[in-house]
Amino acid sequence: MNKQRNKDYRQRIDQALATPKLQDALHKFGDAYLVSRGNAFANYDFEAMRSEISAMKTDVRENHAALLQQFISNAEAAGATVYLAKTAEDANNYIAELAKQKGAKLAVKSKSMASEETHLNVALEKAGTRALETDLGEWIIQLAGQRPSHMVMPAIHMFKEDVAELFSKQTGQQEKAEIKHLVEVARQQLRQGYLDAEIGITGANIAVAETGGIALVTNEGNARLASTLPKVHVVLVGIEKLVPTLEDATKVIRILPKNATGQPLTSYVTWIRGAVPCAGEEKELHIVLLDNGRSTLAESPHCQDALNCIRCGACANVCPVYQTVGGHVFGHIYIGAIGIILTAFYHGLENAAEIVRACIGCRSCVAICPSKIDLEEIILSLRETIGEEEGIGTGKDIVFRKVMRNRKLFHGLLRAASVMQKPVTRGERSIRHLPLFFSSLTEWRTLPAVADKPLRDLILQQPQKVAKPRYRVAFFGGCANDFLYPELGLDLVTVMNALDVEVYYPLEQNCCGVPALYSGDKETAIELAKQNIDAMLEGNPDFVLTTCPTCTMALQRDFVEHLKDNPAWAAKAEALAEITVDAAGFIVNQLGAAELFKELATAEKVTYHDSCHLKRGAGVWKEPRQLIETSGFELVEMDHADRCCGFGGSYSLTSHPDIAKMILKDKLNDIAESGASCVAMDCPGCMMQIRGGLEKQGSGVRAQHTIELLAEALKNQT
Amino acid sequence: MKKTTELKKSFVAAAQVVGAEVIDCKNLQEAVAYLAEQVDGPLLCPSFASGERAGLAEKLVAAGVTLVAEDFRQQAPHAKWGVTGVNFAMADTGSLALESTAEDIRLATTLPEIHFALLDPEKILADSLDAVEPMRQLHQRDPRNYIAYITGPSRTADIERVLTIGVHGPKQLHILLVPKLSSDPLEM
Repeated sequence: MNKQRNKDYRQRIDQALATPKLQDALHKFGDAYLVSRGNAFANYDFEAMRSEISAMKTDVRENHAALLQQFISNAEAAGATVYLAKTAEDANNYIAELAKQKGAKLAVKSKSMASEETHLNVALEKAGTRALETDLGEWIIQLAGQRPSHMVMPAIHMFKEDVAELFSKQTGQQEKAEIKHLVEVARQQLRQGYLDAEIGITGANIAVAETGGIALVTNEGNARLASTLPKVHVVLVGIEKLVPTLEDATKVIRILPKNATGQPLTSYVTWIRGAVPCAGEEKELHIVLLDNGRSTLAESPHCQDALNCIRCGACANVCPVYQTVGGHVFGHIYIGAIGIILTAFYHGLENAAEIVRACIGCRSCVAICPSKIDLEEIILSLRETIGEEEGIGTGKDIVFRKVMRNRKLFHGLLRAASVMQKPVTRGERSIRHLPLFFSSLTEWRTLPAVADKPLRDLILQQPQKVAKPRYRVAFFGGCANDFLYPELGLDLVTVMNALDVEVYYPLEQNCCGVPALYSGDKETAIELAKQNIDAMLEGNPDFVLTTCPTCTMALQRDFVEHLKDNPAWAAKAEALAEITVDAAGFIVNQLGAAELFKELATAEKVTYHDSCHLKRGAGVWKEPRQLIETSGFELVEMDHADRCCGFGGSYSLTSHPDIAKMILKDKLNDIAESGASCVAMDCPGCMMQIRGGLEKQGSGVRAQHTIELLAEALKNQT
Repeated sequence: MKKTTELKKSFVAAAQVVGAEVIDCKNLQEAVAYLAEQVDGPLLCPSFASGERAGLAEKLVAAGVTLVAEDFRQQAPHAKWGVTGVNFAMADTGSLALESTAEDIRLATTLPEIHFALLDPEKILADSLDAVEPMRQLHQRDPRNYIAYITGPSRTADIERVLTIGVHGPKQLHILLVPKLSSDPLEM
């Protein structure tokens, strides 16, 4: 790992965390965005729309050469000059050379992320051409000498007072910090620019192969002016913006503004094909098609889907990490989840090395992506690449490779820890304070103590009371359930027995491998997958049950993915995935047995926290709610129920505890505001985080697994 | 006919949501009267087929409006008002489509503060997918195109995400619904 780089990155995080105003603005935006987005899609089928976009963009990627050729010939036939730029420098040189040729003193620009990507403005300045940003947000950050902190709203990190100060310097008079006034100042100040500029530079949201034209999706009207008034129009567009037909382009336009800002459509969609009339002559139109790493990305089997991105920026809008630290931390030029990936390919792995670890893995971006890109999976694969390039850190290396792969050693150490921790647990189940340099770990949440006896020992002592079992299920406990919360596992046995299901616990099961995978050590993850497949399939169970959705995803998805090309293991991995199911889903969907718990519980207000991997991984969120309500609890929904709690495994323990702490704070506020006295969830990781936070606050609200609540209800059975 | 009425209704609702003024006129004369009342200085009036056919310019002059009909490059930056026709509209988003390859159409719709658009309600399509066909025909008919979908006035939310109307483009969009102007989406 590069120490200086890491230090700079930590500093940026600290700075961002010290700006509560920024967090407040991004949180409010996130909330407002979801409301307007909901309205914009009210009469549309988002899932169907994004499936179409995904299929179309995948098709484009596969037939890229032919479509690009079609676009180029059509554009040239309409009088455009097309230049294919291999690199950012190549594109900049072409445009700067053109500006020199034209003797251009001024170029007006409308918003273009591609030009941010290439640092075009710097290249133009060097060639003696002043580049004037005309998009309001871009102009603001140009005046401030900064880079965009959001792809659609570049100046979202700034406030009207900052803008008034920048504008006052520009106009030489005191401009009042009133938004309407500031917008008018921008209109007045920039208007002459369009009239004076020799060159207008725009990006493009779409390039249509069928016509050889481009489409610009904008709100302010500046792109229309920049493409109309100057005699030369330069379009800088990434080669991935290609679509085959006008229908395809229309589909992009239908989904893009709705998903970007929650607008049904932007004020302007401008379709430009060829050298249109300009001041009695023909406009000189140059289309610069930018590769700059895109072809390499297209060749990467694990990452290529990122090219399907239509740049709506939604992955940032819903990201809890982005909402906490903003785009100047969680991004390079491109920001948010997609930004991590594009940075790796367009600006080099080095620039992505820190932010690739900043993703907490909550999959909220995956759920909202209009091109259905599995951003989390791509980020994990990049993390692995960087892990291979730079190493994952000596400490982790020893833990994963030497300890976790050896189950007996790993579990032996956990047992030893349960004894050695006595001085800090003082015999309690939670660790409230840790000494010395570990103290920061328990500053904002307690940590669970390692249990005296793990589930694997206790479960053998619990008699199973099932006369005629409907099913015999193997229980995959996962480390947290096994060593931190064995009582949860025992509760699962109680609940299952009541449903005539017999449970057994395969003792050879090991860690699911996700911690290693998330840290970039895929080799260990694969080794653990094999150990677990053998362990879980051995007793030939009807189902494999889990109480941890991250483990569920490992067994249902990751093992299959890791081993799909290994003929000795692929079928076994599939077989395990087939029968793996989370406990709540099993009760409702496989057993259809929610009614068994009807009105058993003692009335209590319960709010439900959706665990990221349960809702957005396994697709389970209705089932636990149904169980809670049926069993007689009063279910009250909290705001942002499906927002991450900030746990993220090692994310909150070692890699980004400072960010995790802020995300937890949001969750605790939402829980408190719900008025519930209990928060239910279906993940031991979330329990560790939320229970730890509540305990540290001294809150009276308890945090329980849904299975624990059901076991509790069963006790009232007469 | 029923379909037109329904499309018109949803178009008007959607256009109003995004801040456009919609004026339902009985005929062109009513639209001209509205313009005469609104405009208080030179009005950019580029040539377009349905306007020419209906004698729009003459009617405006007769109503006392001062028109700019040429030398748009010089005149447009100072003009506050512009009037154009519309090729077709889209009901679901309240959008107008203007085939703006002729530069004067662009100048009259980008620079002024107020844009008046005359739309025959018969040219309201359901949505942008229905618009693909006329779009394709326009691309097949003309070798070069500059086609604008316009949805409400120019807007921004770049400062503190507060929606503010009128940045670089028109601050107001007035859509005048005028029957019997043109039913052809390929002509403005």
